[in-house]
Amino acid sequence: MKKNKTNLIIIAFSILSMIFMIHIGSIIGGKLKVDFTEENLFTLSDGSKAILKQLTSPLKATLYYSKTAANKGSEGIKTFNLYSEYINSLLKEYAANSRNNLKLEFVDPRPDTKEEEAAVAAGLKRFNLTESETYIFGLVIENESGNKKIIEFFDPAGQENIEYNITKLIYSINNPRKKTIGVLSSLPVLQEDVSPYMMQMMQMQGRKVERSWIFTQLLKEFFTLKKINTEVESIEAVDALLIIHPKGFSEKTLWAIDQYVMDGGSVLALVDPNAITDTTSPANPMQGPKASSSDLNRISRQWGVELIDNQYAGDKYLTGKGRFSANSAPARILPLLNCNQKCTSVHKDAISSQLSNLMLIYPGAFKKVDFIKDVSITPILTTTDKGNTYTAEGYEFSNPAALWEKFSEGTKPLVLGYKIIGKFKSAYPTGITVDVDNKDKKSNVKTKTLTGLTASTKEAAIIMFSDVDFIHDQFAFKQNMFGTSISNNNSTLVMNALESLAGSKNLMSVRSKGKLNRSFDVIDKIEFEADQRTKNKVTLISGRIQKFQKELNMLGRAANENNIALIQNESIRKKKQLNRAIAKLKSELREAKREGRESIEIIGKRLQYINTLLIPMILVFIGFGIYRRRQKLINKQS
Amino acid sequence: MISHSVKVIFKKELKNYFSSPLGYVFLTIFIFAIGYVTFEPGRGSFFQMRQSDLSAFFKYVPWLFIILVPAVSMKLWAEEKKSGTIELLLTLPVTVTEAVLGKFLAAWAFLAIALICTFPLVLTVAYLGNPDLGVIFIGYIASFLLAGSFLAIGNFFSALTKNQVVSFILSVVFCYLFFMAGSPPTLEFLSSFSPKYVVNLFESLSVLDHFSSMSAGLIALGDLWFYAVLITGWVFGSIVLLTDKKQA
Repeated sequence: MKKNKTNLIIIAFSILSMIFMIHIGSIIGGKLKVDFTEENLFTLSDGSKAILKQLTSPLKATLYYSKTAANKGSEGIKTFNLYSEYINSLLKEYAANSRNNLKLEFVDPRPDTKEEEAAVAAGLKRFNLTESETYIFGLVIENESGNKKIIEFFDPAGQENIEYNITKLIYSINNPRKKTIGVLSSLPVLQEDVSPYMMQMMQMQGRKVERSWIFTQLLKEFFTLKKINTEVESIEAVDALLIIHPKGFSEKTLWAIDQYVMDGGSVLALVDPNAITDTTSPANPMQGPKASSSDLNRISRQWGVELIDNQYAGDKYLTGKGRFSANSAPARILPLLNCNQKCTSVHKDAISSQLSNLMLIYPGAFKKVDFIKDVSITPILTTTDKGNTYTAEGYEFSNPAALWEKFSEGTKPLVLGYKIIGKFKSAYPTGITVDVDNKDKKSNVKTKTLTGLTASTKEAAIIMFSDVDFIHDQFAFKQNMFGTSISNNNSTLVMNALESLAGSKNLMSVRSKGKLNRSFDVIDKIEFEADQRTKNKVTLISGRIQKFQKELNMLGRAANENNIALIQNESIRKKKQLNRAIAKLKSELREAKREGRESIEIIGKRLQYINTLLIPMILVFIGFGIYRRRQKLINKQS
Repeated sequence: MISHSVKVIFKKELKNYFSSPLGYVFLTIFIFAIGYVTFEPGRGSFFQMRQSDLSAFFKYVPWLFIILVPAVSMKLWAEEKKSGTIELLLTLPVTVTEAVLGKFLAAWAFLAIALICTFPLVLTVAYLGNPDLGVIFIGYIASFLLAGSFLAIGNFFSALTKNQVVSFILSVVFCYLFFMAGSPPTLEFLSSFSPKYVVNLFESLSVLDHFSSMSAGLIALGDLWFYAVLITGWVFGSIVLLTDKKQA
């Protein structure tokens, strides 16, 4: 009895010490981690570490997460628990690398408490889950002087950029001065800020209210934006120049850009052979893309690069799926280029290397011009080596099948983005002649010659991408239950480029922990081939119908009073013939679709059988073999 | 480092699993069940998700282990007790610690073989796409440690009782409790009457949390420590119980 009691005490003591040791171990040992993920999801990049090292005064980071509320909420909300743990472990990494300059606090704000009040006062988003439960999931970073920067809500969809977002917060609170970006565009990307009241008033007066693109609104969080007029003689007092769709710029403006570069300026240029978001062009499809094509080649040739005129970059291994019109079935669309790590990671450039989800629309392709000494021209975004250019004209813009007909695979990657660094020669060595605005009308001089630098005085940096539409609201952002959010890496790519050009190289190298594409390549290939087969059938059906229409029209034209009955009969016969042919083709189309679907299902089933039955069957055979052997041995012995 | 007696017991026990139908039945059930639930029809299905990772597999491993590991462990000592062979074993020139370690390690190795037998899943994801093999490897390590923890719990209850069914039920209950310690409903229930540090304490005991973090590809020293303490603690408990039995 006494012994039992002693044992019980030993076991109870062991259990208590075990619990205590686990708890202490999880507190101490939780800090030492090894990250085995390929994307280093749990490890800070060198840029973040460098920024943390620069901290000279203490910062306090408070992560607000309504864990209790989430536990009471729906399954959807509970999944945020995992994400909050990820943020939690990432923040601990920040603190561990901050030389004790970053203090962490984790708060579970309950409704109607001081904590909740503080979170809301700081600007974090609060959602009502039920009548009594509210939900907050955001971060506040505060410095000694009480300045605060926040992430108002952690959306799991933004996990790819989470490290950048947190580092940016730390960087911006430590470096309050924003860099100035000059924005020069033929599109209304940047508009005057209008208050909601004024906007309402203008709408009531029937005036059109132009809003800035969401992308430029996003840029304002990071930079001071300065709108540059499209008629400008010089560009000054900007840290970098963002040129979006340089269409119809005057010689004077091109000269100003040229001179800005000669003076060591940094330029990010988004050019496009067909900016579909350019609604300023006349809506005449027959006019083709010329009307909405960028034109910077005049000066970019001096940088060693030019946009191939009137040609688009395509790659069947990167095409995106979508509907070309509301009534059409989803299909692979050649003008939609979904760039993944195949387009970026090979270049190992901090601007693009970790991005794996870019969507370009009718992008163009660059080609190098002549070799320019002392200028480094590096591709940072390309298609796969199967990419090729294609042209599109007139009705083809609204007919994706026609574009596929024209497209053939290429043999080397097409360049969609270049980084150019070096010293250049001016595109205007003798200057330009411009009209003089004679206000007093006394002088007879109508023109003047502007002269400037004929060659770079300092090294300049230029980044060019061959698409404009990809940063438009429609293609870079999406609306969800929590408001507007980034829908892919498009905006990140441009932000990376601007950060790189405007300074803060450390922050630039942090951005985007791009999620690697781990889709089933084998299945994607089967789907693609099935799509191609069905597309061919659809083309065949359309062709038959068109041929029939032609024949009908010819018959109609040949009709007169004498042969009308005969022609009607002939029409009916032809129609029946066509219906039979179409029915046969449609059945073949269904067959092709079914084949595609079934071959995927067959792969799924085969893999399921291999994974559920193969090893068990082998084990049964082995077991049975051993049993037989033992029986034989027993029989022998007996 | 490992004594000769432990090695002898380990080899004998491991061989026993494959000389009786029980080992094959267990392996067959485990591999069939894990394959089935991984491919189960529905939105969570591995094939429907179209992602070359084994998250669908690792999601179900703990749930299967809650049932199957106690099924392996229940006979470790309870059967010896019931058939009376434990007296014989304990009179042999081996210490209780050696006997417990030998049996425990053999059972753990058997569970490792069960996990290794799921290798076609790794080949499947490698065939279908471009998986992160580092994360998969760590997921397997996490599953192995989880199996060890549940086995240590089962080993303790097997040493406690001579009834295999009682041992099985108690093991399942305790494995489930440790697994669910950090789950939202448990924490919510606890937070309704306990102070925050008790809730935190409970949370740190959660097998689920440590398993999830490891199967995501991150090994923290705290996780390894957790499994080491859990396994050592329960194995130590069985040694105490059996030493008492031997002395009695």
